[in-house]
Amino acid sequence: MALLVPWLPDPASEQANRIDFVFWFVTTICIAIFALVAAVIVYSLLKFRARADDDSDGPPTHGHTGLEIWWTAIPAALVTAISIVSAVVLAKNEQLPNAASASAARGAQTSTQTMCRPRSEDPLKPLVVCVIAQQFAWLFQYPAYNNATSATLRLPIDTTVQLQLQSKDVIHSFWVPEFGQKQDAVPGLLTKLVITPNRLGTFPVICTELCGLGHAVMRSQTTVESKDKFLAWANARGKATGGGGPSPAAKTFFVDNGCDGCHTFKPAGANGTVGPDLDNLSEAAQKAGQPLQEFIRQSIVDPNAYVAPGYPKGVMPETFSSLPKQQLDALVQYLAGGSQ
Amino acid sequence: MSETVVGFHEHEAQPEHHAPAPPPRGWHRLTAPGWLRVPWTMALFFGIGAGLVVLVRWAEGWHPIWDGAVLTTVSLATVPIGFLVGLGGFDYWWRYASGKPTVPEDHSGHGAYSWRDYFRINTDHKVIGIQYLVTTIVFFVIAGLLAMFMRAELAQPGMQFVDNQTFNGLFSVHAALMIFLFVIPAFAGIGNYVIPLMIGAPDMAFPRLNALSYWLLPIAGIMMLSSFLVPGGPLAAGWTNYAPLSVHQPLGNVFFAMGVQWAGASSIMTALNFLVTIITMRAPGMTFWRMPLLVWANFTTSLLVVIATPFIAGSQFFVMFDHIMHTHFFDPAAGGYPLGYQHIFWFYSHPAVYIMMLPGFGIASEVISVMARKPIFGYRLMALSLMAILVLGFSVWAHHMFVAGMAPWLRVPMMVTSMVIAVPTGIKVFSWLATLWEGRIHFETPMLFALGFVSMFVIGGLSGIYLAAVPIDIHTSDTYFVVAHIHYVLFGGSLFTIFAGIYFWFPKMTGRMYNEKLGKLHFWLTFVGFNLTFFPMHWLGLQGMPRRVADYVPKFADLNLFISIASFGLGASTIVFVYNMVVSWRFGPPAPPNPWRSLTLEWQVSSPPPVFNFDEVPQVVGNPYEYGVPGARHGVFNGDRVHEPEEAPVS
Repeated sequence: MALLVPWLPDPASEQANRIDFVFWFVTTICIAIFALVAAVIVYSLLKFRARADDDSDGPPTHGHTGLEIWWTAIPAALVTAISIVSAVVLAKNEQLPNAASASAARGAQTSTQTMCRPRSEDPLKPLVVCVIAQQFAWLFQYPAYNNATSATLRLPIDTTVQLQLQSKDVIHSFWVPEFGQKQDAVPGLLTKLVITPNRLGTFPVICTELCGLGHAVMRSQTTVESKDKFLAWANARGKATGGGGPSPAAKTFFVDNGCDGCHTFKPAGANGTVGPDLDNLSEAAQKAGQPLQEFIRQSIVDPNAYVAPGYPKGVMPETFSSLPKQQLDALVQYLAGGSQ
Repeated sequence: MSETVVGFHEHEAQPEHHAPAPPPRGWHRLTAPGWLRVPWTMALFFGIGAGLVVLVRWAEGWHPIWDGAVLTTVSLATVPIGFLVGLGGFDYWWRYASGKPTVPEDHSGHGAYSWRDYFRINTDHKVIGIQYLVTTIVFFVIAGLLAMFMRAELAQPGMQFVDNQTFNGLFSVHAALMIFLFVIPAFAGIGNYVIPLMIGAPDMAFPRLNALSYWLLPIAGIMMLSSFLVPGGPLAAGWTNYAPLSVHQPLGNVFFAMGVQWAGASSIMTALNFLVTIITMRAPGMTFWRMPLLVWANFTTSLLVVIATPFIAGSQFFVMFDHIMHTHFFDPAAGGYPLGYQHIFWFYSHPAVYIMMLPGFGIASEVISVMARKPIFGYRLMALSLMAILVLGFSVWAHHMFVAGMAPWLRVPMMVTSMVIAVPTGIKVFSWLATLWEGRIHFETPMLFALGFVSMFVIGGLSGIYLAAVPIDIHTSDTYFVVAHIHYVLFGGSLFTIFAGIYFWFPKMTGRMYNEKLGKLHFWLTFVGFNLTFFPMHWLGLQGMPRRVADYVPKFADLNLFISIASFGLGASTIVFVYNMVVSWRFGPPAPPNPWRSLTLEWQVSSPPPVFNFDEVPQVVGNPYEYGVPGARHGVFNGDRVHEPEEAPVS
């Protein structure tokens, strides 16, 4: 009966397909073992039940060497089989294209690479995406496309992607259930994850490592689209970010820095509820007894200096004090404008 | 309760007996060990700690000199010491260490003659065992209520009853209490009561250490619970307390870091006591291969505790130093290494899973053999597989870290060892099944819980195989699948065996029988409620619900509501248990010495046993599980006539 339940989400990557295979391989073995155990217990329950007044003892069987060897050997063989299948799938799930650079890849994996960077000349073999995690938002950066950034992960179909994960504060974990792959982002480390999407659609991105008060809402999404569509988007986005072009709207800063993960702010379409509502900033500034712009700036770079009543201290990360001045100015303007 | 203790005359008959000192009068009552001394010794030690902090800060010119966070942290170490000093935990040692003449041992610290004797430093292992069990059940109920709050919040998506800080506190304190204040010490309590009786010893090897190790426990529990009252909120980084998140938490986190030190010290002391007791105090004839499997299980568990517990103590000290003293163990910006925390933490916390499981294996072996009226199948292999789990248990810790970003090559070796540990565990399960086969099975409550344990633990063990296989673990780690798995292991495994043990030895401990009907009702409510609560969580996790979230996407709403309702039923089943225990302890029918017709030594004395356990030292002549062997005996007393003193064959 357990075989009929759709246990796993509909896979959307080659890696998830292989994980599915291991899952069902293990499930078959486990169901057989559980059925055996349950059958013996139920049979004993019915067959060897003693009446309350029955004071007799069972036969003094102390053991049976043959039987004991069998139930050591068979489980040992089964777990060996599972281990081998798992190890093979694990190796396949981490394979990158570009056979020529396979040895280089191995070298890169053991090297202490600390900066996210593309792996090869061809930007799609594999496509490298830098994943920057922070409390409580995801930011995705495409180094091969002029460091284009996005708050959602856009991927071309049937292309192997290597995510290079970093964290700005605490440990986070990147997971897309439909992709089956998961990896922690650890401060001070650059961790990697390989995904080959093979189904079009939009899927949730979830943080699975407890990262603080907003952990439950640290969600984003990933869109798998055709190669052409992706390239058009990435090139346009890259141009917009690059030098010379018009500087992106402050709204992009707002979203890219993950402010929308926790705050409500109507002009940006944000509706987070972890932190205070940013639509009423002038009121809040009055309560704090500060001029509006100064209040906003201080709240970003030194969030614990004044904490809105009803909200705990120390939730808003202090990492934003390192924002470039130009971005900070734009954000302050943007937020001040939204509340007037 | 006073009538539950018989055999004071045995106490009187002890040759080295001295009359107890007269009770102190007047102001001497404030200096004699006891609750009247506690308040001022606690204040004194708070003053010593605070004075030290202020002095150091003043001398170094650190401002403010009066720093609340530092004072609180130091007080969490000094005030409990003051409490223990006041209660009298160190009186004997203090006289000895300071060269004063020691007070002759008058055994006045032994036995319990009124309820008051449970609230003092008591050196009787049977009293300590009951102190342990009652305390742990209190914390079990509290931690269970925290889980009920959690399920109430999770019944619907969005936030309804609590804020994020409180919710994170709920699951963190729930886990911390269940692990450190319930499962581990509940097994220590059962072991404390039963082990000396089982091996034919009059008490534990170090009765004063035993008393002290109990009194550390309420300290740890109250510390963790009181973190809810700390400004900024309770510990909220999960019981795993991963750095660097835990380093940037409110002060409540220090209450966990220090609470773990007290609970850990308690379990290390108890484990040392078990080891010395089991190695040196076995009755004549009780060879290692004649020890009941519960003794074997506590022996291996104690080895695990002694070797592993210092690691979690270290990991929590590091977090606390980073937090309070601004060291940089886990701060990458200053050269720290966050994954180092996880390696140290899991080097304790994986063996801790076996610390929470092996005593349960022992209890299941006792109950199943006695109630199926058959020798345990493959006794030696059962004991050896415990030792195999002990050794392998230290080689699997990194399977908690497959997605943590550790060295990639470490994953496959850790997967293989994690898979291999399933083999000795499987041996135990199959041996229990073979013990049932052709038995004369009596389905009293302990047996129901033991069989419930075997079937539920198999599910928990099998889902462990999924989590050991790296590709599946990458998909399932940190999801509700893991929540389901640990509850099948710790609830279906540990808790079911704790219940089996409590029901099984209840007649021995209290001298009264529990109510069988209520016991069975308790089992079925627990068994059904448990499965309805935790089995659907497997599916939730696989489908994409991460653990430790107060809010979730609407598509999981229906199933979460179902789980919440089931969990309230499961919580309610505890009422039946507590009612049965309280009422039966007070009014239950008197228990015969050996209601289960067991062969092991604890059943060969009265219920409850005399203050010093055995009026004469038993002589062990055979194996502990010789059911069905005509005339077989495990232990004999001098006065007994042995019909056929045959040495039963060993499997």
